[in-house]
Amino acid sequence: MASSGNSIFPPPFEEAIKRHEREIMRFILRSAGDREDAMDLFQDTWLRAYRAYPSFKSTVGFRPWIFQIAANLCRNRARDRVRRTRVIVLASDGVAGACADSDHAGLLNMKHAIARLPKNQGRALMMRKFEGLEYGEIATALNCSADSARATVYKAMRKLKAAR
Amino acid sequence: MTAMHNHSNAKSIGNEPELNDAAVDEMLRDAHVGISRVLWSIKRPVARAGEIPSPIGKLFFAESDRGLAAIHFLFSGSGDRTIDRLRRKFELVENEPASRRIATDIRRYFDGDIAVTQRPVDLRIVESDFQRRALEKLRTVPAGSVISYSGLAAAVGKPDSQRAIGNTMASNPVPIFVPCHRVVRSDGSIGNYGGGVPNKVRMLRIEGFKVGPGLRIGPRAVFGNRANSIFCRPECPSATDSGLIFADADAAIRAGLRACRRCMPA
Repeated sequence: MASSGNSIFPPPFEEAIKRHEREIMRFILRSAGDREDAMDLFQDTWLRAYRAYPSFKSTVGFRPWIFQIAANLCRNRARDRVRRTRVIVLASDGVAGACADSDHAGLLNMKHAIARLPKNQGRALMMRKFEGLEYGEIATALNCSADSARATVYKAMRKLKAAR
Repeated sequence: MTAMHNHSNAKSIGNEPELNDAAVDEMLRDAHVGISRVLWSIKRPVARAGEIPSPIGKLFFAESDRGLAAIHFLFSGSGDRTIDRLRRKFELVENEPASRRIATDIRRYFDGDIAVTQRPVDLRIVESDFQRRALEKLRTVPAGSVISYSGLAAAVGKPDSQRAIGNTMASNPVPIFVPCHRVVRSDGSIGNYGGGVPNKVRMLRIEGFKVGPGLRIGPRAVFGNRANSIFCRPECPSATDSGLIFADADAAIRAGLRACRRCMPA
């Protein structure tokens, strides 16, 4: 990002996102679980970030900012799936035929559990465990201290374990 | 942290195998086909931008394909608001050749080459039509003259909107090139300036308008009327403060106006 050096304005969006595209795609792929959804979510993330970029402040850091957008979209998608699955389960009168494959069921259960977490815990967990963001970066994204970010991830993990 | 580093550290969910870079790149290429289908309709135009030196201090500029979109006096403020306004409309890109060109033009202006201020401006970041009309009208005020806030309000067709004119001048995105330094108060004092009052006086002097003692319009000032191309003494019954104000009769004559036969200012 040549133009981001000491400039008083952030670099052009396409220049800023270019170096993160692979890791964003991998992050989304892990969160979504399948390629078709990942492609869709990547496009949504890219376009949503493009629209929001005029309000992005360099002080936040581009990486946590873009991962927060990606994480939010993944989380929303997972929540929508939970809702859809509930409808399927209700429609089939309690028979969970929608999740015949056990691996897929495990993945779906994990997503459901994450979707049920408090908003910040879900976000923090996705950023830490799925993409490996540092606690400092998560703290910037969540507007809290690094210690608080660490505690949030810990609480989220504990709830996930308890939900198993 | 590189993508590869993340790749090796990241934990995956389910049984989806980790993809190599080539496979991810292929997905990115496909995704960008979809993105480009939407992007063309929301894409912000590019504006070349940067910080430049000038005889009055450091400036920020932005220039689109239509013209200069912003000049900001960095010595009098951070420029954050101007940059925020610009970023809503443009994708800002640093550009060395444009920086050198604009810096040269501004230096030439302060050396007395006033014609450089005639370069096109792009007022897209101005939100209201009224403000845009006021700024465009202001560009027709010739160098060597000034206009009052009420005069400019009348020229825009809203004679009671002096306060709105004041706000418009305060948020002028392209000072120097949209000459808000040529707007003065109706009471004869030269008023404030975002780049500092001494610079306002300096710029008016460069343009041939000498400010009188006490930062007021001098006693030899005359009022010009562009509609009939006549200039008068301020006390003349035919004079109106809704027109231009020249430092003296010679300046009005140089601008192509003739003296009033009633008050005989020259």
